[in-house]
Amino acid sequence: MTATDPAPTINPATIEIIRNALTSAADEMNATLIRSAYTPIIYEMKDCSVALLDADHRVLGQSAGLPIFLGNLEACTLAIEAQFGREVWRPGDVWIMNDPYITGTHLHDMTVMEPIFSRDEVLLGFATSRAHWLDVGSKDPGGTIDSIDVFQEGLRLAPVKVVDGGQQVESLTQAIGRNSRFFHGAVGDLGAQIACCHTGARRLPEIFERFGTETVLTARDEIFRQSEALERAFIASIPDGDYRAEGTIDNDGIGDEPIGVRVTVTIHGENMLVDLTETDDARPGPVNCGATQAIAAARVAYKLLVDPDSPPNGGSFRTLSVEVREGSMVGAVEPFPVEWYFTPLGLLIDLVVKALSDVIPERAAAASYGDSMVIFVSGVDPETKQPWLHVEPTVGGWGAWNGSDGQDALINNVNGSLKDMPIEVLETKFPLRVRHYGYRTDSSGHGEFRGGVGVSREFELLTDATISTWFERSDTPAWGLAGGGDATGPDVVINPGTENERHALKSANVALKAGDVVRTMTGGGGGFGDPKDRDRDALRTDIATGVISEETARTVYGLED
Amino acid sequence: MSRYRISMDIGGTFTDAVAYDEETGQYQAGKASTTPGTLSVGVRNAMSNLVDDLGDLSFVVHGTTQGLNAFLQRRGEKVLLMASAGAGDVYQIARGNRTKLYEIQYRKPEPLVTRSDTYEVRGRISSGGDEIEALNEDDVRAAAAAFRDGGYTSIAVALLFSYENPAHELQVMELLEAELGDQVSVSLSHRLAREWREYERTSTAVLDAYTAPIVRTYLEELSAGLAGDGMEVPLHIMQSSGGIITATAARDYTVQTLLSGPVGGAMGGVSLARLTGHRNLICVDMGGTSFDVSLIVDGEADVSTEASLEGFPLLMPVVNIYTIGAGGGSVAYTEAGGLRVGPRSAGAAPGPACYGRGGTEPTVTDANVALGRVDPNVFAGGEFQLDADLATTALETLGSELGLGAREMAQGILDVVNAKMAQAIRTLTVEKGIEPGDFALVAFGGAGAMHAAFLAEELEIDTMIVPRFPGAFSAWGMLETQLRRDAARNFPVPLAQADRQALSTLYTDLGAEVAAQIRSEGVGEDAVHLRYAIDARYIGQEYTLTVPVADAEVVTTEGWPAAVKASFDALHHSRFGHSNADAPIEFVIARVTALGDLGRAEPKPLDAVTDAGDPVVRSVSFDGTDHQTPILDRDGLAPGSQLDGPVVIAEPTATTVVPPGWRLEVDSYGSIFARRETEE
Repeated sequence: MTATDPAPTINPATIEIIRNALTSAADEMNATLIRSAYTPIIYEMKDCSVALLDADHRVLGQSAGLPIFLGNLEACTLAIEAQFGREVWRPGDVWIMNDPYITGTHLHDMTVMEPIFSRDEVLLGFATSRAHWLDVGSKDPGGTIDSIDVFQEGLRLAPVKVVDGGQQVESLTQAIGRNSRFFHGAVGDLGAQIACCHTGARRLPEIFERFGTETVLTARDEIFRQSEALERAFIASIPDGDYRAEGTIDNDGIGDEPIGVRVTVTIHGENMLVDLTETDDARPGPVNCGATQAIAAARVAYKLLVDPDSPPNGGSFRTLSVEVREGSMVGAVEPFPVEWYFTPLGLLIDLVVKALSDVIPERAAAASYGDSMVIFVSGVDPETKQPWLHVEPTVGGWGAWNGSDGQDALINNVNGSLKDMPIEVLETKFPLRVRHYGYRTDSSGHGEFRGGVGVSREFELLTDATISTWFERSDTPAWGLAGGGDATGPDVVINPGTENERHALKSANVALKAGDVVRTMTGGGGGFGDPKDRDRDALRTDIATGVISEETARTVYGLED
Repeated sequence: MSRYRISMDIGGTFTDAVAYDEETGQYQAGKASTTPGTLSVGVRNAMSNLVDDLGDLSFVVHGTTQGLNAFLQRRGEKVLLMASAGAGDVYQIARGNRTKLYEIQYRKPEPLVTRSDTYEVRGRISSGGDEIEALNEDDVRAAAAAFRDGGYTSIAVALLFSYENPAHELQVMELLEAELGDQVSVSLSHRLAREWREYERTSTAVLDAYTAPIVRTYLEELSAGLAGDGMEVPLHIMQSSGGIITATAARDYTVQTLLSGPVGGAMGGVSLARLTGHRNLICVDMGGTSFDVSLIVDGEADVSTEASLEGFPLLMPVVNIYTIGAGGGSVAYTEAGGLRVGPRSAGAAPGPACYGRGGTEPTVTDANVALGRVDPNVFAGGEFQLDADLATTALETLGSELGLGAREMAQGILDVVNAKMAQAIRTLTVEKGIEPGDFALVAFGGAGAMHAAFLAEELEIDTMIVPRFPGAFSAWGMLETQLRRDAARNFPVPLAQADRQALSTLYTDLGAEVAAQIRSEGVGEDAVHLRYAIDARYIGQEYTLTVPVADAEVVTTEGWPAAVKASFDALHHSRFGHSNADAPIEFVIARVTALGDLGRAEPKPLDAVTDAGDPVVRSVSFDGTDHQTPILDRDGLAPGSQLDGPVVIAEPTATTVVPPGWRLEVDSYGSIFARRETEE
C-alpha cells in the first residue's frame, strides 16, 4: 500500500483506537521495564527503549526511550531470522543479543526479544526491548576509555535463547551474570527485560482478539499510511537539493588526530537521503559504531526536524534512506572497539540539523555542546578498604534558534532524561568536596539569540584517587547559525592555577593525590543571528546575571554605555 | 450550639461547601461563585448558603488555592535566594535533565528566581554536619542590604547540608531579623524539608517563599472574617499530604497547603473505601477540561514523599494526583486523513462548540451533547445554556471529512477518548504493579460519571461508584480527614552498619516533636497516633521505598534487622515485581508522621427523598443505537432503588450515564453503585 491509496472502509474511530492501543501496549512494556529494572541507569535515566513489531518486523508501537535507540530494534529480529530462518520462532522463547556489529551500539546495551503468537500459534509479531547494563565485564569497571578492540569491552553475545519454551535457561543466565561486576544488577535487569517482552506478548494478541485479525491488519496499513503521508508532505515542502555539513570529533581516545564526520542530505521530492559515506575510516580507539546505530542517529535527526511529537511506527522513516560505508567509523566491523559509539552520532545528529538549517530554519537550532562529557572518579576507602566508583555525564549549553536563546546547562541530546548528581549526595558517598558548580561565563555562542552556557564544576579530592575523563567537541565546538557565533568548547584542568596544572580532556586512569583539584568545564551552545542585533534589555540582563561579561558585551555585542 | 461540620473547596468556577449536621446525621452541599479577586468572599458565601449562624460550627476545614493560583499565574512574591558560596547556580541548573526527548528547541521551566536574585554566602558545613568554614556574616548583611534596596518581598535560604546541621541557616535567620526586623518572610530550607538533595530542597524553599506571604495574608483575612461572623472554632487547612492543620500552624508551613484542593478528592476516596468496604478504588475526576486520576490501595491514599509542580520539585508528602491529557474539552480533528482526539484542548475559551463562544471544532463535550447524554439546559448547574445545534454542526463538518454522520462522529469521538483515558489509567496501574480489574471506579467532577461506565468496560472493572454530591466530592473528602504533621531526617547508612540506638533516639525525638505540634492544635493525648517509617533501598540503587516501622523501640530489638529487610524485600516485590534476598539494603531517610483524630461524621441513612414524579424519557444513543432512556433527577432516587440501564441521572453539578448492560443500586447513604452484568 502506498500513501496515495484510498482510505480503507473500516470506521476511522476504530483505526484511531487501534493506533492508540498499539502505542499503549508499547507504553505498558516500557512501564514494566522501568518498574522492574534493577539499575538506576534504566529506571531513572531511561537508558532503554522498547518496540512492538508486526510479523514483518515493522514497528506497531514504540515508547519514547533513549532517543538514540530510535527505530532500530527490528534490526535484531531481522538478523535472527536471516541467520536461522523464519521457522526459528517458537512460542515461549525469548532471545538476547548485544553484538555491536548487528545492534549498532555498545556491549552495555542488551537487546531482548520475544516472538508473539496468537492462541492458534500464528506469528503475530515481536516484543523487543533494549536497555543499558551497568557493567558487562569490560577490562575496566563500568566501561573503557582506551579499548583497542571489542574483546576488551566485555561479554559479547550473538543471538541466543535465554528463555526456551517458557523456561529461563539457568546456565546461560548464570554465565551472563557472572560476566558482570554487578551480578544482581545484570540478572535483575535481564529479568526486567523479559517481563517487559512478556507484557507485549500478552497485549498484542488481546488487541488482535478484540478487534479481529482482518481489522487490525487493515488498521495497521492505514496507520502506517497516515504517518508516511504526514512525513511525505513535510519532506516535499523542503526545497530539493544537496545539503552538506561536516565536523570532527577530537580524537579516538588513543591517537590525537581529529576524525571527520561528513553528512550530505539530499532532498528529492518526498524523499530524503542521508549520505554518511564520506565519514572517516574506523579508528583504533573506541569511537566506532555499527551501521545500525548510524541509521538510528539519522532517524533521530529526521524525527527532531520532521515530526517530534507523534510516536513512530512502521510508516515512519519510509521517506528516509541512509547510506553508510562499511569500514567507516559509523559502519564499523569486527573487531573495532565501540564503547563510545555515541560520540560521533551526537555530532552526526547536529550536522544533519545544520545541513538543513537554511531551508527549514523554523525547525532547526544551532549546535549544542555535543557529547556526554563523562568523568570517572575511583578509589579505595582508607577505612573500610571498599572500592568506590563515581561515573557521571556533565550538562552543557544548547543551541539558540530563531526567536529564543538556547537552554543553559542541559544534558546532551543523545542522553535520556539524566539528572546531575547533587553535591550533597556526591560528598556523602564519595571522598570529594565540591568547591564550585555553576555557569561558565561567556561560554555560549553569541548572537541575537545567544546559545546556552556550559558549566564549570570544581572538586577537591579528600583521599588519593584515580580519574578518567571523556570530554569532547573541543575541535568542533557548538556552531552558530545565521551569523550567530560558535560557543566555547570544553576543558578539563587538573590543579588549575598551580605549577602542576595540566589539561586532560580525555584521560585514562590518572592517579591523583588527596588535596588535588579537578575542574571540568563544558561548552555552551551556538548562537543564532548577529550579536549586534541582540535586544539591549536582554543583553543587560545577561550582564546582570553574569552569563555574559561586560567586556564581551562591548566587544562582541557592541554595547555602548 | 455546635452542630455543623463544614468544608469549603475553591474551584475555578465555583466554591463548593459541604456541611454535615451532627443532629440529623445528614449532609448538604452548596456552592457560590468563586471570587477571583478576593477568594475569601466566595468561601464565606458558600458557607452561608448552608449554615445561618457560624457560631453553630463544630469543625471547619478548607482547601485553599490561593498559593497554587499565585504560582500558576506567576504572580508570587519577589524572592531573594541565599545559597552556599560556589553553589548559587544549583537552582538555575535544576539538575540539567529534560522531560521531552525529541525536542531540539527544548525549554526548561523558567526559574522563579533569577541568577541576579541569588546571593551566595560563604561558610560551609560538611556532609557529616561539621562546620568546615564559619558563616560569613558580612555576606548575609550584604544580602540583607540587597533585599532592602531591590524591592524584594520574601527570602529563601538554602545552604548545603543544612539538613545535617541547620546552624548556619538559623544564624542567617537571626542576622536577617536583626537587619530587617522580625516581620520579614524567611523560608529556611531545613525547616521545610530536612532531606538531602540541594536542588530539590532549594526549590521547596523558593516555592514557599514565592507563595507564603500571600497565603498567610489570605488565611489571616479569612480567619478574622469568619471570627467576625461569629465562628468560634479554629479554621483547618487541607495539606498536600491528605491531612489537615490549623490555619495558625499553616502559617509556618504554607508550602504544605499548595496542592490542598485536588487532594480532597483522593481523601474522599479514602472515606468511601471505609464506608463501602471497597478497599481498592480508582478515582476519576473529570471536569470541563481536566481529567485527574488518584488511587486508593487497600484503603489508603497513594502518598509520595516528593512531588513536582510544573517541573519544580517539592520535597514533602503529597497525595499523588495524575493528570491525563484528555477531558471534556479534548478537540477532535483529522491528521493525514485519520481521526485524532486530544491532547489538544479547547479549554474554557473558545471551549467546546456547544458553548457558543466561537469554537468550531467538535470536542468530547459536543459529542456527549449530540448523543443526548447531557441536558443542554442544566449543564454546569444551569449556569449557562449549551447549544446542541452548534455541537451537531461541528460534528457534521468533521464527519464529512471522514465519511461519517454527526451521530456516528460523536460516537467515534467518545469511543476514542474513552479508550485513551482507559489506556492511560491502565499504564498507570502497570507502573504501580496493580491490576485494574481488582478495583472499583469512583467517578466525580461534572463529567466523571458521564464516562466512567465506558472506562470501566475498557478496564474490565465491574463496579462504578458515584458518590453523593459528585461536583463537591473534594469538599466532602476534606471533612473526613485527620490532622497530620510530618517530620523526616536523613539517616544514610547500610542496615548492617546502622547505629540502631541512634535511630531509636531519632524516632523518639521526632515523634515527640510532631506529637507536640498536633497536641498544640488542640487534640488530646489519646487522639494522637504516630506512624514511623524508613526509606530504604538496595545498596547501589537510587530510588527508595518507604518501609513502615512499628515504633521507636522495635528498631533496637535483635530481630529487627532481619524483619525490616524482609519487609523491604516484600515491598520491593509487590512494587517492582522482583526482590533479592541476598542483596544488602541501606537506609536513607527516617520519617515520622503524627495523626490527630478530630472525630468524624457518623452519617445516618438518607430518609425520604423528594418525589421524583414521572421521569422524562429522552432518546440517547449508545453504540449507534437510539434507546428511549429515562432521565432521572438524582434527588428523587430513593435509597435502595434498583434500576437497569440505560438510564441517565441528572443533578445540578453532574450527569451520570448508566449504559445498557449495567444495573444500578442506590445505597442507604445515597451513593450510586452501578454494576456491569457480566456475560455468561
